[in-house]
Amino acid sequence: MFVFKRMIAAIPTLVIVSLLVFWFVDLIPGDPARIQAGPMATPEEVEVIRERMGLNLPALTRYAHFLEGIVNPEVAVSLRTGRPISIEISERLPNTLIIAIGGLVVGVLLGTIAGLASALCQGTWTDTLITAITLAGISMPIYWLGLLCIWLFAVHLGWLPAAGAQTWAHFILPILAVATRPAAMFSRLVTASLLEVIGKDYLDTARSKGLSEVQVLLRHALRNSLVASVSVAGVQFGAMLGGSVVTETVFGIPGVGRMLVDAVTRADYPVIQYAILMFAFFFVMINLLTDIATQWLDPRTRQSAGAA
Amino acid sequence: MRRSILLNTLTASLTVFLSTTAILHAAPSGVLKIAVGADPETFDPHFNDLPTGNTVDLHVLEGLFRLDAENNVIKELATDYSYSDDGKVFTVKIEKGRKFSNGDLLDAQAVAASFNRLLDPKVASIYRGLYSSIQRVTAPDEETVQFHTAEPNGHILLLLASTTATIVNVSAIEKMGSEYSRKPVGSGPYMVESFVGGERYRLVPNPNYQGRFPAKLEAIEFVVVPEDGSRMALIETGEVDIVERVPPESIAAIDALDQASVMKPPSMFSINMEIVLRGAMENPKVREALNLAVDRKGMVEGILGGLGTPSVTMPGPGTQNELRVTFDPIPYDPQRAKALLKEAGYGPGDLSLTMVCPNGRYIKDAMVCQALQGSFQAIGINATAKVVDRGTWSEIIGRKPDQREDNMGMVGRATAGMDFTLYRLFKTGVGANTTGYSSPRVDKLLAEGRATTDVKKQKEIYAEIQKQIWEDRPFVFLWYQTQAVGVSDRVKGFQVQPNETMQFDKISLQ
Repeated sequence: MFVFKRMIAAIPTLVIVSLLVFWFVDLIPGDPARIQAGPMATPEEVEVIRERMGLNLPALTRYAHFLEGIVNPEVAVSLRTGRPISIEISERLPNTLIIAIGGLVVGVLLGTIAGLASALCQGTWTDTLITAITLAGISMPIYWLGLLCIWLFAVHLGWLPAAGAQTWAHFILPILAVATRPAAMFSRLVTASLLEVIGKDYLDTARSKGLSEVQVLLRHALRNSLVASVSVAGVQFGAMLGGSVVTETVFGIPGVGRMLVDAVTRADYPVIQYAILMFAFFFVMINLLTDIATQWLDPRTRQSAGAA
Repeated sequence: MRRSILLNTLTASLTVFLSTTAILHAAPSGVLKIAVGADPETFDPHFNDLPTGNTVDLHVLEGLFRLDAENNVIKELATDYSYSDDGKVFTVKIEKGRKFSNGDLLDAQAVAASFNRLLDPKVASIYRGLYSSIQRVTAPDEETVQFHTAEPNGHILLLLASTTATIVNVSAIEKMGSEYSRKPVGSGPYMVESFVGGERYRLVPNPNYQGRFPAKLEAIEFVVVPEDGSRMALIETGEVDIVERVPPESIAAIDALDQASVMKPPSMFSINMEIVLRGAMENPKVREALNLAVDRKGMVEGILGGLGTPSVTMPGPGTQNELRVTFDPIPYDPQRAKALLKEAGYGPGDLSLTMVCPNGRYIKDAMVCQALQGSFQAIGINATAKVVDRGTWSEIIGRKPDQREDNMGMVGRATAGMDFTLYRLFKTGVGANTTGYSSPRVDKLLAEGRATTDVKKQKEIYAEIQKQIWEDRPFVFLWYQTQAVGVSDRVKGFQVQPNETMQFDKISLQ
């Protein structure tokens, strides 16, 4: 019931987003017809191109076409290529998702290990080193980090390809680059959660049952950070989708993020509108999944939701 | 002895014959890898506006004529051509029996259909205006194509040599729809084997090719990497053989590599601040002062990293060199500029101007804009530089002069020919004349230049026009951009046209 209610609640959100996306994109400076016609075109020639693009139709008619394109993707085509946007997106979305999901998985794994190590070695040089690295990870812009990775692993060491998406090896550096920030955040989160419970009685009880220190940490202490971790993972995944614009540009990956940047440069309005709408849909779905996971993991939220 | 000489002669002749045959019919070999910065979203020559797309069109499609590496017009499908007596019909004879890569016949009908698509208002090609002097194209027989123009047009040959005028297979377009823009069917030496949007595309030899520029390579792979630093890394690691658009700050690093260096072919791009001729800007002394205030050499070296040559006429190199004339470079003389402003009635701080520049369209455009602001301020003008995104910039520079609020805009011009460039920019009242330039003398000469088919007369006319425009200073003339392409040492015979189209006619890999 809770899931159903949340899904119904997502519909008005998406409708509002569709309105905002359509009208705001319409306000972007620059005339797509003029951009495509080039600086030597006469106003009359620009007008012919504008007509072909359907830009001189009333705004409401164009909004109706926009909504029609959601139901019937064949009619929503790029102003530049004339191809259905659904095909353009479906060709590029896998690359974006590989990097976002890969980055999140690697980030969670690295962050959890680092967080555990930091909590267990509190006050030692290991803890200091991990704290310094995580702070750097949180602070570094992905653009700079990406170029640094290319310089080190591709140019200097020659271990990995610098840019492109031809093989699985091309995805290692972008995944590593995007994993840095979630890894740093998870490390801080896990450390804080563990330090909070590490002296609690229930852990002594677990130890007294004969569980090893690792089992105590993984089964009892770490569980404490799960709810917060799921929320952070949801936010981070959304951020990584949004950040794909930068990652894909730096590493030459043909994803939806880069498609969006190119579309903005070229004022390809329909591509901008549908790509943003798709990202908005993902954000809504991620939030929904995060809420469901939180409910499942934490009985207290389940009860409060039920009471509400 | 005689037998020995005969034997040696025969052996030598056989060797020469075999090696010549081997050269003439050498199988394509080697895979060339190229990293490009811009993503060509379409290869349809009627809509492509990127040099990377031109490169594909040049090798996948064929024109009646084409340009060589120095921008000279040479025959491709054409075998002969002539003008009618009244100069209004241009007739081209084409090779018989040519085929598209899919086996369709490429006869005069197919050529006419291709041009009529380009001219069709419903298709709304972005180049329709460029070819608007052609009214219709007909095919009286299978090897004759006729171009009908309203007025005599002495520049049609150049129009037909552009990659925009390459022959598309109209029946394939009808069958393939928008997919044709990714895998155009042509009759050139290569064909597009694969296209992964935003990432890569691959050309392979066309087995049906019958022309004079056969494929030299087994495959040409293009990878799209927009970020400059990442693209440069690809040549450093040896992952690609060629990288286009090397930024000034990376030239030394690539030249320092053992296996690659930077090639700097000239570019047609003529970069100028085009003045909106209104108010104070109508005063020739003010325009002269603005031109004298700019240290072109210093900016080219200091900002562009040497990737430019100070202007010596409006059209850039390669814009029909046979009609292009050059003049003395404009000196850098801020003292004289101040004096001229004073003569024009403007003391320090009396004159204000706003200039608009794009960001990332031309080499270091935003930095150049800031430097120009400083140059104009140094002679006492309240100059304001507005660096805007490409969309805003294209909208502003496309406005009619009376609708513009700025006083000048940075624009790079690189168009096919002298007539098109000068007629559109300087003919009174023409829609693309966005500066408001008007000169009855230039108008008369432009009309005469367009109508004449006599090259000698064209030379005289266009020399006069260029001289008048240079003296009138309707622009703050800046420089011609220089291309910078990183090329691996294993690549031989690689050429780049002044319009930034890569050419693989003579290429080989070691």
